[in-house]
Amino acid sequence: MLNMRLAKRMWVGLGVLLLIGGVGVARQANAQAVVKIGQIEAQTGPTATYGWMSSQGAKLAVKEINDAGGFQVAGKPYKLELIQMDTRGEPREATVQFKKFMEDGVKFVFGPFLSNVFNSIEPIANLHNGKFLMFAGATAAHSLLGTPNHDYLLHTFNWDSGPSGFGTLMVAQLKKQGVKRVAMLFQNDAFGKVAADIYSKLFKDAGIELRIELFEPGTKDFSASLAKMAADKPDYLFPGYSDAVLYDIVRQATETGLFKKFFIVRGSIGPALKNKDAIDDYMAYVPKYFESAEKTEKATSKFIAEYKTFYKREFPYDQAPLCASSCYDHVYMLVNAMKAAESVDDVAKIKKALMSTPYDGLWKIKYDETGEVIFKFDLVQVKRGGAISVISIDPIK
Amino acid sequence: MSQLVIGQLLNGAIVGTLYAILALAVTLTFGITGIVNFALGAFMMMGGYLTWYAHDSLQMPYAIAVVAAVVAVGVVGLVTDLCLFRFTRNNLVNGLLVSIGLISIIEAGVLIVWTATPKDLAYVLPGVIEAAGISAPKIKLVVFALLLLVILGTYLALTRTWTGRAAFAYAQNSEAAALMGVNTAALESAVMVYSAMLAGLGGALYASLYSLEPTLGSAFILKAVEAAIMAGIGNAIGALAGGVILGITEGVGSIYLPIAFRDAYGLVFLVAILLVKPNGLFGGKS
Repeated sequence: MLNMRLAKRMWVGLGVLLLIGGVGVARQANAQAVVKIGQIEAQTGPTATYGWMSSQGAKLAVKEINDAGGFQVAGKPYKLELIQMDTRGEPREATVQFKKFMEDGVKFVFGPFLSNVFNSIEPIANLHNGKFLMFAGATAAHSLLGTPNHDYLLHTFNWDSGPSGFGTLMVAQLKKQGVKRVAMLFQNDAFGKVAADIYSKLFKDAGIELRIELFEPGTKDFSASLAKMAADKPDYLFPGYSDAVLYDIVRQATETGLFKKFFIVRGSIGPALKNKDAIDDYMAYVPKYFESAEKTEKATSKFIAEYKTFYKREFPYDQAPLCASSCYDHVYMLVNAMKAAESVDDVAKIKKALMSTPYDGLWKIKYDETGEVIFKFDLVQVKRGGAISVISIDPIK
Repeated sequence: MSQLVIGQLLNGAIVGTLYAILALAVTLTFGITGIVNFALGAFMMMGGYLTWYAHDSLQMPYAIAVVAAVVAVGVVGLVTDLCLFRFTRNNLVNGLLVSIGLISIIEAGVLIVWTATPKDLAYVLPGVIEAAGISAPKIKLVVFALLLLVILGTYLALTRTWTGRAAFAYAQNSEAAALMGVNTAALESAVMVYSAMLAGLGGALYASLYSLEPTLGSAFILKAVEAAIMAGIGNAIGALAGGVILGITEGVGSIYLPIAFRDAYGLVFLVAILLVKPNGLFGGKS
């Protein structure tokens, strides 16, 4: 009798266990799988300007996609999971973070924008070639595109030189204005040196004399450098690559009347507007001049509205152009590519799909055969008094 | 060329007083509490941001914005002293660790509130004064005069008032000072708050000269410690001299040598001084 009772209880228990297990399996079958995107950018620290906006834009895109119910790849539903790491611009820290991504099987890495960070993780990335894709904005990534062991690499920030390069076009514009001599005052760091190499050639090819001075990153008082460089009487000053120094350089240069014409390839037009009555000309490359695009482009006004709602803060017009790199559009491009490739983990197929499909979102973007991005950008010119003119250049046409 | 050199001598002296005000804060804190407070750089940054916010966003007149920022930083100095530094008195390592942790917290806080976008205060006193072919921005000259006044005022307060003499006595022999009726706990807190206010003032005036970013304090505190060591720790006038020497070395060095190594010129000068005078220019014999 006792044995029968015991056997009955065992069967009931087994039944309950099976029921619980069954419900679990059914739940798992209905649940959406997750595609992980790792983002490795400086969100704090002295070079945070470059990663901050990319991190904000990518987060917003992931939120929008997930809120819309995710996406379907080969009939299966997926959601995105964004894992953001703050490198603080520190190569050593970034190395540890990147290794963690690889250990966790992250197949899509957004960033880095900083060349010093890219240079430190690149040897580790090479060991995982073929297993993931990296959407890097770093200038240093450009020369490695299409080389052996770098199948994982896509360069997301457009390149200065080459036929479609914005730098080539801007130097040509200077040449048209009859400029003979330019003084370049740049940070003495990885990108500063790369920029000095790129622009030495571009100016030489254009027949414009270029004098280069490099300064210690973190410098705030440029009076000695400016006075020294002004002695050569250059037509234009080509100063630094971030607003953190541009505000100070433009103010100090105009205050003492040493320079009134500026040529900018990275940085906003904020310093020109602040000193609008002291400058003569301020020519700047801007991936997108959001202030005017907001009025004319639907995608841009939608992005700005979504940003304000999501982050509950004013839209950072001066930082927003940096969202051109490994940011909002690239998340959508990746999702589209996964759909087209009918896979979320075959990185070769996904890369092929990415490179064969132009995208028209916040920016009009495409990749060339090496993985170099080409996108529509703006050339903004500020004249004395603050008059702004914008020329949109579309190298994709 | 001579105009360039004279211009940089003047500019170096002006920039040097900014190093000096922070060096004075470092030297006072260390002399009384035994703490090398690296967070003073972050307090300076905070002073700059609060001034910018009060002036540009709240539309306060610049002078009132400066006073408000200095008082606010003083309050932060008091709170951090009561909550953190009070427990690290005369413990160099603990004090250092707490101050470094505080830098991260303050920088992250500023980044969250005001983002990484550089902030540039509306110009307070635009224009330059020109004389003998040398031009100097008016605001730089005003900042220079104000900082000199505060540093010399602090020196006089330290040497001519009872509290100042009590501070000196405490720095030499804390037990004897306590036995003579000096309220040591209050004195330590007062020095921490005053140092924070000096740093805040440095930041508030800095904001009228240069753009602001959350990490500006980190670079400045290193220069301030350099200036304090160069002069000899514990000397108010020495802090001024150390800052000015550092500023001039950087400015004039940048004319003849590559600008890229500007920060190194001051360090080379520091090493040279320490080789000859190990206790600094104004430090006594050990």
